[in-house]
Amino acid sequence: MLKKLTRFYHPKTIEEACQFLGNGEGKTAVIAGGTSAALRADSSLEALVDISHISELDYINKDAAFYHIGACTRVQDIYKSPDLKGPAGKLLQTAAGKIGSTLLRNAITAGGNLAGLFPWSDLPVAYMALDAEVVCRRGRPKRTVPVMSLIETRAPQFLAANEIIAEIIVPAYGPGTGTAFAKLAKTANDYAMISLAVRLTLKEGAVNQARIAVNAITAQPVRCLEAEKLLEGKVLTEELIAEAADKATDSINIRKDIRASEEYRREVFAVMVRRALTEAFENANRKGGQQ
Amino acid sequence: MKLNTRINGRDLCLEIKPNATLLETLRQAGFKSVKYGCGEGMCGACAVLIDGKPRTSCITLAGTVEGTEIITVEGMGNPDKPHALQQAFVDAGATQCGYCNPGSLIAAKALLDSNPNPTAEDVKDALDGNLCRCSGYVKRVEAVLSAAGSVTKQKKSTRGKK
Repeated sequence: MLKKLTRFYHPKTIEEACQFLGNGEGKTAVIAGGTSAALRADSSLEALVDISHISELDYINKDAAFYHIGACTRVQDIYKSPDLKGPAGKLLQTAAGKIGSTLLRNAITAGGNLAGLFPWSDLPVAYMALDAEVVCRRGRPKRTVPVMSLIETRAPQFLAANEIIAEIIVPAYGPGTGTAFAKLAKTANDYAMISLAVRLTLKEGAVNQARIAVNAITAQPVRCLEAEKLLEGKVLTEELIAEAADKATDSINIRKDIRASEEYRREVFAVMVRRALTEAFENANRKGGQQ
Repeated sequence: MKLNTRINGRDLCLEIKPNATLLETLRQAGFKSVKYGCGEGMCGACAVLIDGKPRTSCITLAGTVEGTEIITVEGMGNPDKPHALQQAFVDAGATQCGYCNPGSLIAAKALLDSNPNPTAEDVKDALDGNLCRCSGYVKRVEAVLSAAGSVTKQKKSTRGKK
């Protein structure tokens, strides 16, 4: 376990962190919450850059239309934040609250859930359902990318050696949008067997945008594009929701492990999608918007 | 490698291996209240406060707590002068083998520090990472609630004296 590790760097700013990462002396990695067992088992790492004490990476802000979440914000702070409201805020809070336990949520970070992407990571599906964007910094220079491109390429390949995830930008949405999150796990603290986030944005009674994002049941977070397409432009009915749930189930490659068989997950997943869509639809139709 | 931290109010400089966990570092430094349970962050027996936030020390690398303030149960109270929570755990019988108690007390202290008047639901939420395999999950909730009462009362009475 980290047998070759010789040193830690403790940068105080993003630019310092990027410098340490890009100085090319031996194999270096970023550490924030440090809960990733894969990171702690790596025997080739020589140095760790600890970004968990960089205050300019730890915040939850809201402007006119977006939430800005610093990459090192603890998921416990997202779970307990009084500033996160409405359909987007509630989805983030619910997903964050379902991660591990209090003790782990105080370590796990908003960006770490994307950088160390595991099948059971709960936040990525929420980011995907909300069409979030990610700000990556390479010292001063920055680029803003859709969260999906970071997930599809995976952070280690997507980011340059001296680049870190700095911020997640989430559209706030308003009345007319409803969201829902659901997780299936053996216990409240266990890894997810199914992690599901749904968003419906309505326009004049019909579905304008539908998002169904899943993880844990699949090897990596994916969206159920065919089911989304089926819903968009239509007025929701019970039958349509059931049809979309079946389509979503057929479209994914279901993973099995010691926790549950493929057949079991398939049965439960269809029901969870149906319920989540129904819940999101109710939330979207709430007078004054989802609170 | 040197590690500078403040543990239970004392500034310490410890010599550590770069790959040492915070759990082994604390135990080697004499803070034996911190227990090794599962070693993978699932049971909470090793919980300590890092800058006021309860975390599992077994999967925290010691190198990442440089410059932070750490509190273990030794920093809460002792048999002669127990913390209100420790007394409440004794009074409520929220202990049997006692192995999970240090972690539970740390998580409970973090809760009361940020929320002096928690509901039973708040307590359950705050202790969700601390497994207890013998005493159970009812008495410790009673203990935290009764400690919250006595902490609030103490504060009120000292305010009254001023």
